[in-house]
Amino acid sequence: MSDQAQDRDRPTQGLDAVDVSDLLRSVEGPGTGFRVASTLLILVILGGWVIFGRQLLYGLGVTGLNQPVAWGFYIVNFVFFIGISHAGTLISAILRLSNAEWRRPITRMAEVITVVVLAIGGFHPVLDLGRPDRMLNIFSAGRLQSPLLWDVSSITAYFMASTVYLYIPLIPDIALLRDRGAKPQWLYKFMAWGWQDTPRQRHVLERAVSILMVLVIPIAVSVHTVISYIFAMTLQPGWHSTIFGPYFVVGAIFSGIAALLVVMIVLRKIFRLERYLKEIHFDHLSKLLLIMALLWFYFTFSEYLTAFFGNEPSEMGVFYYKLTGPYWPWFWGMVACNFLIPVAILSFKRTRRVPGILVASIAVVIGMWLERLNIVVPSLANPRLPYPAGFYVPSLVEWAMFAGGIATFILGFVLFARFFPLISIWELKEGREEAVRETMKRVESYLPDPAPRES
Amino acid sequence: MSASDSGIGVTPRWIYALQVASVGVMWVFVIGISGWILHLNRLSHRLQDVPSATVAISIVAIPVFLTGASVLTYVFVGLQRGRRTPGPEPEGEA
Repeated sequence: MSDQAQDRDRPTQGLDAVDVSDLLRSVEGPGTGFRVASTLLILVILGGWVIFGRQLLYGLGVTGLNQPVAWGFYIVNFVFFIGISHAGTLISAILRLSNAEWRRPITRMAEVITVVVLAIGGFHPVLDLGRPDRMLNIFSAGRLQSPLLWDVSSITAYFMASTVYLYIPLIPDIALLRDRGAKPQWLYKFMAWGWQDTPRQRHVLERAVSILMVLVIPIAVSVHTVISYIFAMTLQPGWHSTIFGPYFVVGAIFSGIAALLVVMIVLRKIFRLERYLKEIHFDHLSKLLLIMALLWFYFTFSEYLTAFFGNEPSEMGVFYYKLTGPYWPWFWGMVACNFLIPVAILSFKRTRRVPGILVASIAVVIGMWLERLNIVVPSLANPRLPYPAGFYVPSLVEWAMFAGGIATFILGFVLFARFFPLISIWELKEGREEAVRETMKRVESYLPDPAPRES
Repeated sequence: MSASDSGIGVTPRWIYALQVASVGVMWVFVIGISGWILHLNRLSHRLQDVPSATVAISIVAIPVFLTGASVLTYVFVGLQRGRRTPGPEPEGEA
């Protein structure tokens, strides 16, 4: 074996041992914190399911759903979680595709968010069924013409593509864990797929990641567009809008970036990752968040101005229900959380620091959840048909499942961090070895060519 | 450290078999979804329930699933061929 090949075999080549130990701390020394956190989260999830048992026994009557408000927390959370899923694969794919070198410590966390929240969000429509067993009817007699089934197929495709997109760039790091003797050894051997870091294997991996990053962007965009179609394809006031597709996609990317920032800040603190997740990463991502806040406001303003200017009675019923009616705290809370707070914090360099970014990101996550609530409930509460306006108050069952959903999200991260590195080690290594040289070459290629010599 | 050192007696040959099976499961899933979509197509034709829409959606959906599974298979086969020692990892190889 050549010296070069032997060097490649060393599991920590390119990164000093301290770096790798830092990044594998959660895998190699999980400690009691992991057990305590997992136990508590499992208890919350189990508690949610126990309370949900009442819904299985007595049907949707135990929820706050009623006539005419037939969709509530379950659908709000469905749209919200699927929106958050745009954090990952889409942002990661865009950053990879645009050769943004600062992406390297971020992409893994973003991809994990996608897979975890897609699994949670995709399950919510089943909770919304009075008879969940009837979901099986879609296999025998589903109508592919219905936007609801477009959702089933697009979310399944996104889940599959995101899982593959998370797994393939994870293989070199799994092999590193295998080589370091991490346990369970059989799991790492199984998942490493025989990775030995040969040039041919690297070529295959890089080519697959390139194909996937191009594939996942249209899938991700289609997922949230299709979710908006569930609403926009009806004639319901407040929903029947041509800009709902892009509006939902913008909102999804917006909430996704905010969720990613919250996750990054929390994990940086817990696992002491300050050397990898630096101020510059937060600065770049928070600028993206600021741009998305302005875009979100633009779409929201266009949406509401069109309804107001049209002055159609049923549209105005929904409009005033939100702005001055029973939903005014949630509507103006949404505007404050999604626009006023993030813009006020992120526009100034002095406040655009990690604590400020955390406040702005949490505000956006809450604001985007309120946005989903403002879309789903007021339109159903004010139907086009001449019914009296309805109201919706979620019951304990719905709150319990909401808490269960959030606990599942955190548990997903806790379990992932227990078995896999949260930051892509091989990509960091590649960054140190090659990216600086490549970036310099790229920057040089942007500059004007030297003037031709006059003869 | 060999795989059997993990204490549950999983040999390299078993691990290799599990890896091949995992790719197989992926294909079962993708073929299952494609079959389901084709079934819904046939149903909409039989009921004359906007069959054009189902065909349009199938044309988009099925290739996406097939591409995903193909990429995964390409990676698996590529990684196996790119190894210094093809086939199941020999005992003792880290």
